[in-house]
Amino acid sequence: MSEGLHRTHEGRVLGTELLWAFGVGVLVTATLSMIVFTALTRDINPPSNVERVDPKTLHLSGEFAEQNLGTVVADGTVTARIIATQFMFAPHCIALPQGRPVTLRFASPDVIHGILITGTNVNTMVVPGYVAQVLTEFTRGGELLMPCHEYCGLGHSEMWANVQVLSAAEFKPDRDGRVTCAQR
Amino acid sequence: MPVDQPLAANPFEEHDDIDEAALAAVLRIVPLGAAMLAGSAVALLVLGYLAIYLFVFLPRGVVG
Repeated sequence: MSEGLHRTHEGRVLGTELLWAFGVGVLVTATLSMIVFTALTRDINPPSNVERVDPKTLHLSGEFAEQNLGTVVADGTVTARIIATQFMFAPHCIALPQGRPVTLRFASPDVIHGILITGTNVNTMVVPGYVAQVLTEFTRGGELLMPCHEYCGLGHSEMWANVQVLSAAEFKPDRDGRVTCAQR
Repeated sequence: MPVDQPLAANPFEEHDDIDEAALAAVLRIVPLGAAMLAGSAVALLVLGYLAIYLFVFLPRGVVG
């Protein structure tokens, strides 16, 4: 190869590489802009609540005592409190409304668990010592599955709960503001 | 090239049997071909990402 041809070829390769770098820069910027735009306009963010809770007294008193578990409507706000423990969720069925903002609060007294609700973007880790909180709104009604998605021991595959997303007509709080799963 | 022949100090002075014009023609389209191949692969990846983001992730509702 002559030196002149070599230089011409190198110049062409450099031009192509610079064009490629520019194109990739545009793609990365567009992708990040789209994520930031939807985060700001539609309020879609990774759950990032940091709140301590004592795992040793979780079931004895306070927010996650047995009588406080499940879904409660207070001042128009829907909150569900759930304990994830080896190898079950308490309560095993959670009733939630469709088309209304809800707050899901999870705590674990033993090991690290994780939850997701099928067909939705609800997905978080449940770490002992912390309250995992997810704010969401269910767009579709029906029975959804909520399995543990973080290996937590030999019974991990048996650890799951049901989420019943009820329409406004079905989602009826009782006198104490509590809502339990409908018998179907 | 015979094995026992010493290499030239400047590699561009080495004699070979390659046709310079044909080589120049090939080298002119090589970067374009590489860009097309890489561009198609990245375009498919980005289209897949966009399809999942717009038609699966966003319809699943808000979360925070």
